[in-house]
Formats: sequence, C-alpha cells, structure tokens
Amino acid sequence: MKEFFLGRLTSQSLPHEWFTIGGSAFFGLAALFFIVLLTVTKRWKWLWKEWLTSVDPKRIGIMYFIVAGFMLIARGGLEALMMWLQQAIGSSNMPGFLGASHGYLSSQHFQEIFTAHGNIMVFFVAMGFIFGLINYIVPLQIGARDLASPFLNTLGFWLYVAGVVMVNMFFFFGGEYAATGWLAVAPLNGIQFSPGVGMDYLIWSLQISGIGTTLGAINFIMTILKMRSPGMGLWKMPAFTWGSLCSMIMAVTIFPLLTATLFLVFFDRYFGTHFFTTTLGGNAMMYTNLIWMWGHPEVYVLVLPAYGVFTEIVATFSRKPIASYTTSIIGMIGVSLFALSVWLHHFFTMGAGADVNAFFGLMTMIIAVPTTVLVFTWIATMHKGRIRYTSPMHWFLGFMIIFALGGITGVMLGVPPADFQFHNSLFLVAHFHSNVIGGVLFGVFAGITYWFPKMAGFRLNERFGKYAFWCWMVGFSLSFIPMYILGLMGATRRLDTYDAATGWQPFYICMLIGGCVIALGVAFQIIQIIASVMEKKRLHDYTGDPWDGRTLEWSVSSPAPAYNFTTIPHVTTRDAFWEMKKQGIAKPQYEDIHMPKNTASGIYISIFAFFAGFGFVWHITWMAIAGVAGAIVCAIIRTFDENTEYTIPAAEVEKMEKARLQKEHEEYGDKPANTGPEYDMTLREFIITVVTWAWSVVRRKQRQA
Amino acid sequence: MAETTEAVATHEQAGALTPEHEMSHEEAANDRVMFGFWVYLMTDLLMFSVLFAVYAVLHANTVGGPGGGQLFSLKQALIETLILLTSSFTCGLGMIAARKGDKTQVLAWFGVTFLLGLAFLGLEVKEFAEFVHEGHTLSSNAFLSSFFSLVGTHGLHITSGLLWMGVILAFVIKRGLNKHMVRKLALLSLFWHFLDIVWIFIFTIVYLMAFTA
Amino acid sequence: MSKKQSPENTQHTEHGTTASYIVGFVLSLIFTAIPYYMVVNKTVTGRALVATLLGFAIWQMLIQIFFFLHLGRGPKPFYNVVFFVSTVGIIVMVTVGSIFIINHLQANMAPMDTTKKLAQDEGISQVSGKQTGACNDIGENHKIIIKDGMATPAHTQAKLCDSMTFINEDSKVRDMAFGSHPNHEIYGGESEETARKGYPKTITLNQAGTYQYHDHLDPAVHGFFSVEP
Repeated sequence: MKEFFLGRLTSQSLPHEWFTIGGSAFFGLAALFFIVLLTVTKRWKWLWKEWLTSVDPKRIGIMYFIVAGFMLIARGGLEALMMWLQQAIGSSNMPGFLGASHGYLSSQHFQEIFTAHGNIMVFFVAMGFIFGLINYIVPLQIGARDLASPFLNTLGFWLYVAGVVMVNMFFFFGGEYAATGWLAVAPLNGIQFSPGVGMDYLIWSLQISGIGTTLGAINFIMTILKMRSPGMGLWKMPAFTWGSLCSMIMAVTIFPLLTATLFLVFFDRYFGTHFFTTTLGGNAMMYTNLIWMWGHPEVYVLVLPAYGVFTEIVATFSRKPIASYTTSIIGMIGVSLFALSVWLHHFFTMGAGADVNAFFGLMTMIIAVPTTVLVFTWIATMHKGRIRYTSPMHWFLGFMIIFALGGITGVMLGVPPADFQFHNSLFLVAHFHSNVIGGVLFGVFAGITYWFPKMAGFRLNERFGKYAFWCWMVGFSLSFIPMYILGLMGATRRLDTYDAATGWQPFYICMLIGGCVIALGVAFQIIQIIASVMEKKRLHDYTGDPWDGRTLEWSVSSPAPAYNFTTIPHVTTRDAFWEMKKQGIAKPQYEDIHMPKNTASGIYISIFAFFAGFGFVWHITWMAIAGVAGAIVCAIIRTFDENTEYTIPAAEVEKMEKARLQKEHEEYGDKPANTGPEYDMTLREFIITVVTWAWSVVRRKQRQA
Repeated sequence: MAETTEAVATHEQAGALTPEHEMSHEEAANDRVMFGFWVYLMTDLLMFSVLFAVYAVLHANTVGGPGGGQLFSLKQALIETLILLTSSFTCGLGMIAARKGDKTQVLAWFGVTFLLGLAFLGLEVKEFAEFVHEGHTLSSNAFLSSFFSLVGTHGLHITSGLLWMGVILAFVIKRGLNKHMVRKLALLSLFWHFLDIVWIFIFTIVYLMAFTA
Repeated sequence: MSKKQSPENTQHTEHGTTASYIVGFVLSLIFTAIPYYMVVNKTVTGRALVATLLGFAIWQMLIQIFFFLHLGRGPKPFYNVVFFVSTVGIIVMVTVGSIFIINHLQANMAPMDTTKKLAQDEGISQVSGKQTGACNDIGENHKIIIKDGMATPAHTQAKLCDSMTFINEDSKVRDMAFGSHPNHEIYGGESEETARKGYPKTITLNQAGTYQYHDHLDPAVHGFFSVEP
C-alpha cells in the first residue's frame, strides 16, 4: 500500500548528510523569509497579478534574470568554488577530512558536483539569461508589443522554473544527484551503473526545461519573422535580433533531438529497453553520437545572442554604425549553418577512424572562419570611431581577448591527431570555459549593463561595474591560464585527487585564488546593483536614450510601458532610431491597443509537469499519470479559451501616457548636473552609507529596548 | 473598415511592406499561429528522425532472435497504411467543409476520420499484443526496443490527435462552428497529414525494408 | 498593394479544393501499392530495392506535402517552405551521419582477443548485437593451489562463466600461462598472470573447451581445465 502511494520514496530518502541538510535548510529558510516578507508587506496579490501570471515579456524577462542569477550564485558558482577548493587541497600528500580520503569531498560527491555544475550552468544559468534578454529586448527592437504567443511565453518560463526546482529536488528527497558528468554518457547513465535517483533527476530537469526551451524558441521565431514593424525587412533588423533569430532557429532544431535522446535513456532505465545498454543489442556509442548532435549546436545557441549584444554595444559606443552589417549577419548565419556539422569533434578518440575524423576536423576548423569574420567586423567598427569606455565596452574588450583565446584553442582541439592528447584534459576544460565565460557570460553581463536603464529606468553605477569587470578578468586569468598549462602537462578533467609528485598543486592553488577573485567580482556586481538603487534619482534615465543609441528600443521611455509603443513605428532604414533622431521624432499618435490578459495556465501546466517528472523519478505511477493528464487538461482548457485579450482604447492610452509623463516630472524634476559616471558612488562612500544605516538600525533597536 | 484602409495608406508611405500588416489583427494572428504550429511540426519531425536513426543503427541487433522479416505481417501493415491514407483524405474533405462553414459535413467527415484513426490504432495494438504474447517485448533486444519506440511513438501521436479531434468536435457540437473552431480544425488537419507522412516512412523503412534481405 | 484582401486569400498555409485532395489521395494509393508489390514479388532486390523504396517514400511525401498540406501555394514569404527544406536537410544529416559514424566505429572494433579481455573487465556482454563472450553472472569459483612445485587439482571441471583462481602458496613467483610450454595460447584475452604468495589471481572462464595452463618459469607446474558450455 505504501509503495503504491510513495513509489520508491522512503524515510531514507530524506536529508541526512551535511550537504543535503545544509542545502535543504538554506532553501527552506529562503522560502520562509520570502513568505514572511510577502505576508507582512501584504504583497501576495501584487506578486501574483503583476509578476507571476504576467505575460508581458518584459516581466518574464526580469523573472528569467532573477532565477538565472540565483542559480549562478547559489548553485553553479558555489559548486565551482567547492571544486576549486577540493582540487587545491586534494593532493595525495595532504590528509582528508569530512570523510574524504583527500580534500573534503568524497569522490562520489565530487562527481555529483561537477555534473550538477555543468547542467545548471548550461541549462539554468546561460539559457535563463539568454531567454531573459531576448524576451525583454527583441520585441522592443523590432517594434512589436509582445511576443507572438504570450501564453507560450509564460508556459516556457514556468517549465524552466519546474526544471530548476527538479534539479534542486535531490536536497530534499534522494540525497544524490547524477555522478555521470553533465551529459551522462552511456552505459554509465543506465540503470545498471547508475541505479540511484540522481540520474533520473538529471533526465527530468533537463527534459521539462528542454520542452520549455523548444516552445520558447518557436515563439521567438514566430515573433521575429512575423511581427516586425512595417518597413523593417529582414536586412534592416538590428544585430541582436539577428543573433537571437539564428540562435532560436538552431535551438528549435536541436532541442527535439535532446528530448528524443533523453526519452530513450528514460526508457532504458524505466522500461528495460536496450538502446544504450551493454547487453542484448544496445549500442552505447549511439548515445554519445546523439547527445553531442544536440550538445555542440547548443553552445552556439548560447553564444549567438552574445555576438548580437556585442555588435550593438560596439556600434553604440564607437558612435558609428556597424562596419559591415551584411558581413556580420552572414557571419552569424554561417556560424549557425556550420554548427550542425561538427559534433563528432567531441569524440574523435572514440575510434571512428581517420575518414570520419578528417571530415569533422575540417568542419570544426571551418567554423572558426565566420566567427573571425565577426571579430574583424567589430574591430573595423571601432576603427576611427570615437570610443566611450563605458563598462559594457570593458566587457566587450575582455570578451575579445578571452573568447579569442578560447577560439584558438578550439581550433587546436579540432585537429584530430592533436586531440588525442588534449581530449578530456584540463586543456579542454579551459578552452570551453574561455568560450562560455568570455563569450556567453560576459555577453550577458554586457547586455544587462547596457540595457539596464531601459529595464529599470536608471543606469548602473559605472565605477563598481568596472571593478567587477577587472575582478572577473584577473580572476579568470588566474584561474584558467594555469588550467591550460596543467592540461598540457597531462592533468585530466574531473580529478578530485592527484599524486603530489606531479607538481600540480601550486597550479590548483592559483586556480582557487582566481576563483576567489571572481567571487569578489560577483560581490561587486551585487554591490553595483545596490548602490545604483541607492542613487536611483541621480542615475535616472530622463530621455529613454541614455547612450545615444541607434535601435528602436531607445525610442521608448525607460522603463517601457506595458504596451511598448503607443504607435507601431514605421521603419525605412537600418539603425531605425538613429534615422528617427536625424529626421526629428514625430508627435505621439494614439491608436487602440490589443493586449493579452494575464494567465495562470502556464503555472498550472508546469506544476503538473513537475509532478509527472517527480512521479517518474520515484516510480510513483499514480503521480506520473496524474501529472501528465493534468497538464493535458490544463492545456486544453487554456487553448479552448476564446477570451484571452483585452483592448485599451486610444483615448485611454493618451490619458495613461500623459499621466506617466506628469508623474515622472513630479518625481524627478529636471535633469541635474551631476549625472555623469565621474559622480558615481565610490566604494568608500558605499561602505560608509551601509555601516551608517546598519548602525542607525542598531541604535533605534537599543532605544526601543 | 476605415481603420484598416487608413492604416494601410500610412503603411504605404513607409516603403517595403511586410504582408502581415496588410491583414487585420485577427488575420495576422491566425497566420502566426499556423506558422508557429508548422515550426512545431518540424520539431516533431526531428524527434522522429532520432527514432528513425536509432532504428537504422539498431534494427539488426536481434541477438539471435527473430527480425522484422520473421515477425511483421506486411499485409496488415499495408491495411494500416491504406486506413491512415484514407483518413488523411477524409480529413482534407472535412477541412473544406469547415471553411465553407458547413457544420454537419464537418462532423460527418471528421467523424469518419476519427473512426478510421481508431481502426488504425486497433490494428496496431493488436500487432503489439501479439508480439508481447509471443515473448517479443520491448526489453527483449535492441531491435524490438527501437521498433516499439518508433512505431509506438507514432501511435501515441495518433492517440493524441484523436483525443484532440474528439475535444474539438465536442466543442463544435456545443459552441457551433465559429472561427476559433475552424482554426483549430486547420491545425489538427496539419497534424493529421503530418502523421500520415511519418507513417509512410515507417511503412517503408520498418515494414517494407524488413523484407528486402 | 492596398487592396483589402478577403480572409480566404491571406492565410499563408493554403487550403485546397476537393480536386487536389482526390488527386493526392489517388497518387498516394498508387505510390503505396507499387513499392508493396515490388517487395512482395521481389521484382528488385538488395540495395537497389532499398533505394527504390526510399525514393517512392520521398515522392509520396512530396505528393502529400503539395496536395494535402498545400505547401508552397501561399503568398510570400515562403517561410514554411524554407523551414521544411532545412528540416529535411537536418534529418538527412542526423540519420546519414549516425549511420556513417556508427558503421565506422563498428568496423574499427579491436580484434576479438583484446575485445574479450576488455569486455570481461567492463562487464560488456555484447557490442551492437555481437556477443563478446564476456560473462555477466559469475558461477562457481574453482581454486588451484600451487604448493611444493605442484598444482592441485590436476584437472579442473568447470562450467561456462565460472571463475578460476590461482593461489600460489610457494615462495617462488610463478608466471601462469595458457597452452603447453613453450607455446602460449590466449584464453579469454588473458595471456599471462603473475601469481605471488598472498596475491591470488582470478580469471573468468568465458570460453568453452579443454585447456592447459603451466608455469612458464617452471613448466613442471601445470594442469588442465575443462569448461563445459
């Protein structure tokens, strides 16, 4: 009877190790804190109406940022620090503690950590930030009010959140995550060699959020292809929109491959099929083949929007249009095309032979060409420009150095005979981190800094932005340059302990120091946000165009109203807003605006999807069936709802706009003189302000007592 | 309508047009949904391609057991093909009726489509049951795993299509044939035709090619 | 072009006439019947047949795409066509690429002996349908004690997938090899096992037949073992 209701859940599944207890306590306390905060400030209804059930891509974008940022710091980044620490003290001549033979993490635990780190960073941090950026900025750039399907947008977001919850579920139930590496190679991912629930958590968190990604990608493609403002042909779209389009077309192509492959692994584990098993006809190599068909284009899905971000930033801060628009777009398209034909370079050493290796090695080297075209276009854009070295520009310059390093080492790895030395060494790990950190993460940071005024109504503190950048640069160099060297010295990846005689420990210690410097950079980024909020009034964006931008998103107020534009702009050229500024901006015209209503159906479907996954993980059959059925029923209810929009009449729009301008004028007055970055709060001022505030709180409490 | 012609007139001044803005808000929405669903069908096709690729690689791995040539009834597969093909045809006729606004014809033609789909499923379930009864299950060997997954996934899609069809027809009976229902029928028929196309490849690659040795 | 167009014509995925459905239906029937009869009557065989069948399938797909799905009959832009063509391209790449890669991997598998030892160590009983001979479940364990220059028992009777352990209780190091001295054979991928006092060596009996083993350094120490399937 108990087995029917609880499947394989037992009391042993509850937290009983230091990290599961710690993790559960952390999440539990955080949840409690927010519940208390919302109750005391009476903001439950506001949260539900304004944020959770919102279909506004601007709101959804911010929610993506919050979840992705949280996963970056609380999980992915923390795991990185844990690994750096383990490797620094895990040398064979140092004693272990906390039950480990060397260092403080057992081998099993270390394996679970690097697996989780990879999954979380790729699926829940990088994809989350990218989707947030595209959601917020693309509709503004193409002159649209919303995405093509607001319902799919919110559904995609909440499926992503269900994946986030699932990947953290092991803290509460099960106590183990997969220990297979982030892509879980067969036959290690099978029930014979990974019998625990950890692997199932991996499958279902990826599967649920993967479906959300596919739906989101379809939505973005529909939007970019069908909802551009009149006059904006494909060759007049801004670069970030192009990068997003290429990225989403690739995403829509490859995520079905991942969905199918994960289902096959699930069938092997759950129904005893023999796709990738070592017995009865299975072929484990087919798994590696299929998963990398997804895995390689995925990294281009992540980096293409970053290319788009940087193209915008370079043009704006060089005060020039892009050196050759056509060339850079062809570069992005070229990257997308070739990305789908190189996947075997992840397993050159698996024995496919020279013919196969030669073909894929060639394609891998060719893919460097369109990227290099982009790099030269950026340099040409800067040439003879009047460059402003704002913090987004700093991130760009850092990206150029680190990403180029990653790219060059990538070509080295793409030479099959050389790869037999590099494969699965730390050289490889340093290469791909150069690309994802230098490319994707720096792109995200640059994009968020660049578009922050548009999103929040005030710009970020430039000083702390630059401190953060330099910490990231120095920290990255301290951490990953030694990693390249270690790789060449023969250190393999995923090592939790090593022979002291190899002489590797000093390098690992250097890497740990680099990691701490990066952590300091993250601290500065958090301080940057807090300090900017403190100086909100001074940093306010009065015009909606703080950087003298070129594209349409700068033509609306900051932050943009819910409907983005009062009238859909008519476009005749590239850099449409630059053209508008030259011609003189027209008087606002008002028209009826159709807006989508909020909906909770995305939340409900995702809750059912989550329980379906959880039921599959723990073999709770009734829960799995109920989850699937519930999701289907909710989807039917939503799709047969014919009443999903409302209209704001033109007169109402005019009233809302005038009221907003009035309110802004009352709150902020005229633009003060000290808005430049040289007046930004310094670190000293920040510390003094915080300490003074904390002290005053303490004094008030003392007086009350 | 005055709004549309005026909007169109100002659009003309803007130069090159995207056709979407020649349409009314509703037509543009319809167009977007059809395109978006088409893109979704492409993703579904890609999912099937993985199953096909796996079948291509694993179909010979019977580990001594019987292969497709010994297990399949080509005649039954042909009958299934003809049933599905006919249902695709009746679905098309139902769509024509829907655009004409003829509610009775819609219910008739889609009713026939539904029954044919059910017949197809019945035959497929019968085939699966026979195999399982003889001891050839999806955990017997890699060939059977890939066979059951590929054909079974198609069967699951057919089942979803039938469920969807049933819901739409129920709403048509209740709410009548309004433009929302016509749009849903259009999407469903896209889905149904697409499933027939996938079946052509299953019939060819799984059933016909099993007898080419 | 500011003509106000009727709802019918502005749909981008087009709908057709009864005629197009009938034509498509009849053509599809023909394109199903022909391959069926070709297979049943074996008019063509082997690779030619496979190619022909695929050809018919692709043609029927195109027929249905045009007559049932009406692809390509809408106004510009032909996004649907572009997406369809690129999807087909990717499907070709996925399937052909997989077959290309997996066939090469299969062809490059190491010779049987090396494979067998690796397979036994890793517990892999088959690769792509071909048995490696590795045993998943180990049966009984048979001990061979080497003492005072003799191996006991002289003849070991075992079943397939049992295990056999060489226990050296002499102070001498012994190099256990298979076959009769000085010839060496390979048994189950194993060629030589060094046996010291206190360090027994176990092998899995994954090959049926009767075999001999001997100490290469002292051939007087030898024995037989029979493995029944």
